[in-house]
Formats: sequence, structure tokens, C-alpha cells
Amino acid sequence: MIWRRALWLAASVLVGLGIVLLWQLAADARLVSPVFLPGPDKAWAALERGFASGELLDKVLGTVGRMVWGWLLASLLGIGLGALIGISPAARAYLGPTLEFLRPLPASAIVPVAIAFLGLSEGMVLVVIGFGALWPMLLATVHGFAAVEPRLYEVSRALGLSRWEVIAKIALPNALPDIFAGLRLGLTVALILAVVGEMLASREGLGLWILLSARAFRAPDLFAGVILLGLIGLVSAALLSSVERYALRWRTPVH
Amino acid sequence: MTARAATAPASLAPPAAREPLIRFRAVELTLAGRRILDPISLDIGRGEFVCVVGPSGCGKTTLLRLIAGLYLPSGGQVLYDGKPVSGPRQDIAIVFQDYGKALLPWRTAAGNVSLALEAIGMPRAERPARIAALLATVGLSNHADKFPGQLSGGMQQRLQIARCLAQAPSVLLMDEPFGALDAMTRQALQDEVLALAASSGATVFFVTHDLEEAIYLGDRVVALRPNPGRVADMFDVRLSRPRDQLTTREHPDFLRLRRTLFDFIKESEA
Repeated sequence: MIWRRALWLAASVLVGLGIVLLWQLAADARLVSPVFLPGPDKAWAALERGFASGELLDKVLGTVGRMVWGWLLASLLGIGLGALIGISPAARAYLGPTLEFLRPLPASAIVPVAIAFLGLSEGMVLVVIGFGALWPMLLATVHGFAAVEPRLYEVSRALGLSRWEVIAKIALPNALPDIFAGLRLGLTVALILAVVGEMLASREGLGLWILLSARAFRAPDLFAGVILLGLIGLVSAALLSSVERYALRWRTPVH
Repeated sequence: MTARAATAPASLAPPAAREPLIRFRAVELTLAGRRILDPISLDIGRGEFVCVVGPSGCGKTTLLRLIAGLYLPSGGQVLYDGKPVSGPRQDIAIVFQDYGKALLPWRTAAGNVSLALEAIGMPRAERPARIAALLATVGLSNHADKFPGQLSGGMQQRLQIARCLAQAPSVLLMDEPFGALDAMTRQALQDEVLALAASSGATVFFVTHDLEEAIYLGDRVVALRPNPGRVADMFDVRLSRPRDQLTTREHPDFLRLRRTLFDFIKESEA
């Protein structure tokens, strides 16, 4: 079992290394002008340089912070609102049409609105991230709360659970698998919008770094930024997955 | 702790103790325009083990849900301890057939039992000892930390029974609880339920489609007829207790009652 997993891991690492190798060969053969496509060696050197000066670390922290705060904001709102809508038919009736109107709006469409109210500020970026990342969480939470096995409601009544206990002990854990699916989607959206927000509002971060590197034809720096963004996505998703595996360990029976 | 019938001579017992614990008084039920039950009158005594049989659609489960307070009658009254049933109550526990749906899959065996204790407001510090005792009662002591998905069907049903016992119920309602289990497990659980009923003194209302199970377990077998559901007949079971899977089932009275019930069901399905 463990050997199998190690083997798969080794294989996926090998594929990754293979792609880096191809990239190096393509760059060395100058298939694309080095102005646009530096080799991995140059990108690595740019990474080293950036971290040595401390500059890149600041950008990474800026982007990660924005992503996490915006994501937390969206999660809190999405799960709270989703729970309310999932449990209460009245809330669904009151809020439904408004949410259906807001939901299809692309996050980029509300950027000008957010700028009008909040200026090119950190708050504006957070609002845009929060708005964009809200929907996957909201929809998943509504679904999770609404899809409780009816038998469990009868069990709750027979046991004499209070309404609050039913929400906390039945509906919420029941919605957890859906909520995690929403959290994962929301995380991706949050990273995308953090980058977009930085580019639009000129906030310190990897998005702005990439934009400025591209404008200055500093291709190695640009690639260093892209690589870091990929790593942020990879690591954050892996962290979330391990939390999910623990929280939902009842779903994978070990005999 | 349950209100048991007094052991004193009947004449000395207070009137309430001689009253049946559960009374159906001309109870009828219509759901969504469909007549489910014709007026039914039925008394169930304290500590009695009543089994209900009948073809599908005869309203067996409906009767159980009326006692549970999950349905309210369209006409007539269901009385519990002399008062009309208005909704579920904690001293009436239900064991559902579909244990897979009735247990919380995200809670361990101990956690599932704990849910009932949390519902009755038992302080956190007192729960572990009570949970351990209840799991021991149903033979799940070694599986306290397993999730329902890791338990066999028989163990899951035992767990559900333990959770019901945690309510310290006066009445145990069992809705075809062993219908989905294999024969060996079913017999073992039948004997466990008999032992639990005897030791707790709880009144049991047991719905089944298995006639032999009904005779083996019950003090009385109520036979229903379908479309709409109504009581067709009642049979007292005078077999001695404790019952035994071999000798009881071979007893001439058992076989005679089995024949009567089979004929009855065949006739009512014809």
C-alpha cells in the first residue's frame, strides 16, 4: 500500500522533471527567443536572486495573505449564508432572487464598482476576492445543508434534539463534504483574484511583480513569479486536502 | 427508573398502573387524501411485548409512527399514559430498519450513543461511563471508536439499539429492525432484544413481516389487513419465557399458532 503510493509519487515527480528537462532543451535550442522564454536555469537564478534580496518573499507573503484573507472572508460568509439558506425556507425565499442575480456576475465586472467605493485599496482587492470566492462555497453549503437524510431528522425528533442541536450536530457535519469541495474551489478562485486584484490596483504581490517583469522584458523574473504562483496553489491545496482527509476520515473506512 | 406496573396485587395498584400504557381510540389516518387506516382501537399494556404483522401496505409502520408521534391521527386519539400523543417524546425510542441511514456516519459508535445522552442533557463528565456501559450491553465494547461504515450490518443495528437504550425509554418501537440481517445475526439479536426487554421492563411494539419472529418474540401478535389498514385479528402467545430458539420454535403451541397465522395471512392476501 505504502509502496504503491511511493511509486505513484515517484512517477509524478519524474513527469515533472521531464517537463523541466524539455523546457531546458527547448530554451537551449532557442525554439523561442530567450527574451520571451528563458530556460529553467535562468528562472531558477532569478528565484535565487529574488529571495536573496528579500524582495520575492515580500511578494509571496503579500499574495498569500491576500488570498487567505479573502478566502476566509468568503468562507465565513458563504458557509454562514449557505447554512441559513439551506435550513430556512424563509431565508431561501427572501434571499434567493437577489443571490441568483448576483451569482452570474463575473468578479471582474464588480471590480470597477469596488474601485468606485473603496479606491485602489487593499480593502477593494479583498472585497473582489471575497465576492468571487463566495459562490462556490455558498452553493456547496446550501446543497450540503439541504441534502440531509430525512431519516436523520426523524432520529433527531425521536431523540428530542433541539433545533440548534440539529443544525450543529446533524446538518453541519452532513454538509461538511460539500463544504470542503466548496472550500477547494474557492481557494483556486481566491488565488486567481488575488493576482488580478494586484495587477489592477497595483498592490505589492506576485501579480504586480509578474506584470512589471513582463513590461520590462525581465522574462526570468516573470517565470520565477509564475513558478511561485503554481507552488502557492499546490501547497495550499495540499494543506486543505490533509485537513479534509482528517475531518472526513469517517468516509474512508479502514478495516 | 421507568414507571413499571406495581408488583402489588391489582386491587391495590393505583388506577393509572392498571390502565394500558398505550391506547388507540378509534384512530384513523388519511394522508394526502389517501385513506391509510380505518378506525383502529388497540390497547397495549405496560411491559407488554406486542408484535404486529400483516402484508405490505397494511399500516404496520403507520401504527408505530402514530405511537412515536411522527404522525398525528386524522381522527380518534392515541393516548400515552392517559394523555394524547402530540409529538415525539424522549421516553419513546425508535429502532429503524435502515440502520445505515439512522446512524450518524461521521460519529463513532461511542459518538452515536453520546448523541442520545446529549439530547437528554447528561453532563459531559458522566457520559463516557454510561456510553461504555451501553456499548457493553449490546456487545460493542471493542468497537467504540469505529465509525458506522466500519461495522457490519448486525453491529450497526446493535449500535442503534444501544442509542435507543441511552434514552432510558419506557417504550421501544422497533420497525422491522432485523429485516435486512442474515438469519444467524437475526436470531442472536432476537434473543438480545428479549433479554433487554425483560431486564428493562420496557414496553415493546415490534413491527415485522416475519410471522415466526412475531410469535417467538411477542406476548401478543396483532394481525393487520390492508387497503385501508385495519386490525384483522389478535393472537395471544402463551409460550413460556425465557424463550429458546430451538425448544420454543419446536413447541406444539408455537407450531399451531404459526399455522393459524400463515393461513390467516394467505387468506387476507387472496
